[in-house]
Amino acid sequence: MKIALRIAAALAIVVLVLAPLRANGYVLNLLYTTVLYVALAYGWNIISGYAGYFSFGQIAFFGVGAYTTGMLVANLHWQWTLASLAGGVVACTLALPLGYIMLRLRGPFFAMGMFGMAQMVRVIVTAIPATGSGAGLFLPPGSDLSGVYYWTLAICLGAIALTLWIDRSAFGLRLQALREDEQVAGTLGVDVTRAKIVAFALSALIPGLLGGGYALSLTYIEPDAVFSSRLDLLSIVMAILGGVGTAWGPLVGGVVLTQISEALWARFPQIYLMLFGGLLVGLLLALPRGIVPAIAARFRAR
Amino acid sequence: MSSPSTGSGQALLVVEDVSLAFGGVQALRGVSLEVREGEIFSLIGPNGAGKTTLFNVISGVLRPDSGDVRFEGRSIVGRAPHHIARMGIARTYQVVRPFGRLSVVDNVAVGALVHHRTIEGARRDAREIIAFVGLEPLADRFAGDLTLTQRKRLEVARALALRPKLLLLDEVMAGLTPSEMDGMAEFVVGLSARGIAAVAGVEHVMRLIMRISHRIVVLDAGKLIAQGDPQAIQNDPAVIEAYLGAPGGIA
Repeated sequence: MKIALRIAAALAIVVLVLAPLRANGYVLNLLYTTVLYVALAYGWNIISGYAGYFSFGQIAFFGVGAYTTGMLVANLHWQWTLASLAGGVVACTLALPLGYIMLRLRGPFFAMGMFGMAQMVRVIVTAIPATGSGAGLFLPPGSDLSGVYYWTLAICLGAIALTLWIDRSAFGLRLQALREDEQVAGTLGVDVTRAKIVAFALSALIPGLLGGGYALSLTYIEPDAVFSSRLDLLSIVMAILGGVGTAWGPLVGGVVLTQISEALWARFPQIYLMLFGGLLVGLLLALPRGIVPAIAARFRAR
Repeated sequence: MSSPSTGSGQALLVVEDVSLAFGGVQALRGVSLEVREGEIFSLIGPNGAGKTTLFNVISGVLRPDSGDVRFEGRSIVGRAPHHIARMGIARTYQVVRPFGRLSVVDNVAVGALVHHRTIEGARRDAREIIAFVGLEPLADRFAGDLTLTQRKRLEVARALALRPKLLLLDEVMAGLTPSEMDGMAEFVVGLSARGIAAVAGVEHVMRLIMRISHRIVVLDAGKLIAQGDPQAIQNDPAVIEAYLGAPGGIA
């Protein structure tokens, strides 16, 4: 069973790596969208799934990554992958003080606070003249879509590896303990403040790294495009549908939802949103804890 | 069980003139006490007397308005709870608070991580402690699936995983049957024999507590009204009047 899963995973990676050689533009675009959403869902899952701090503002770090890359590429002519890396570093560094402040809030207050924080970050970033402000920023072509796809795929695989490590590590156990009961975790010796901030920074690093590739794929960025509430909300829904705080939930939820969304959009463009929304409600009612926990419970029941 | 002697060790924990108010409610009024190494120290008082508040102050969850708390000679007021836990003070909660979606082993391993770098080491430690408190068959279940009695044992197991020098037991006897109380008493005596001091918060003055405690303090409305060995407490007029109600009313 375990070996079969490993072989399947290895095959999937090979297919994903070779895909751009054979796939047409449509398929490549769908693959890119899928790995982007899955990676975003993994990023969100660390602070919100493992540590239990529901954030509605992780997209701020995606936007910061996109704009950092945009400025470095457009103004300083950096190579785009280096610039994207810098985007991740900037997002992660920014997350340290922000996390220190925001993680004092809990539950719905943290969720709403992060929503507001994302708006503030957006306003501040776009107030910098070098970002082109509201008018936007043109990026010189640095790569075709397959390059951006490989970059995103690499980050997605890295995010999965990071999550698998967290799931089995002492750090992950501390996060889960503080998610269950922060005060008890503290009196059992867990430095809850430190654990939360590290989780928050990792949850910022991933979208920060992804933002640059996304900016490059758009060739022109403006605030609405990269501080996108659609990307934010959909990736959260994917993680929830797959199973919050599970190692495979974001992958399962991300793959399932992007394919459903695409199929509905292709066939019923006029009523796409209604169908997609209705389906989401139905799925979440049927599987309130997500797909992965439901499957795990099935296996345990045997 | 030998008859309790006054703790022979030196002062492990010193609480000095601690006061704390919540809004207009004075939860603790100038409480002072000393717990010695390896001693069984009981904190008796009715619901609302301030026992849990005092535990919260000692474990760093609450900061007192005034007064000092010293552990092994060092002041611990204002230190983070995890810091105090690592120094060797562990506690259980009156209302049991298991990490419901974690296994029993992982619940205990959290505390054991203080002494282990890897999760494997912490889990090994945890399994030993789980066996020690008699939860071995349930080690891989979710903590949320345990019964109340089992959860009480889990509370103690988690606290022991810190390898504490001082264990604060909040309402250890509440909700237990008489035979389970005997078991718990036996257990606390065993800890004391291994040099772990225990502060047991209990609501009722029980023969059991009288028998195992080296020393007892009585709290009433946030104030310490009596302190001494079990004999002295039983005969203290302030205790009899304020707490026990009638002479000889020790249940």
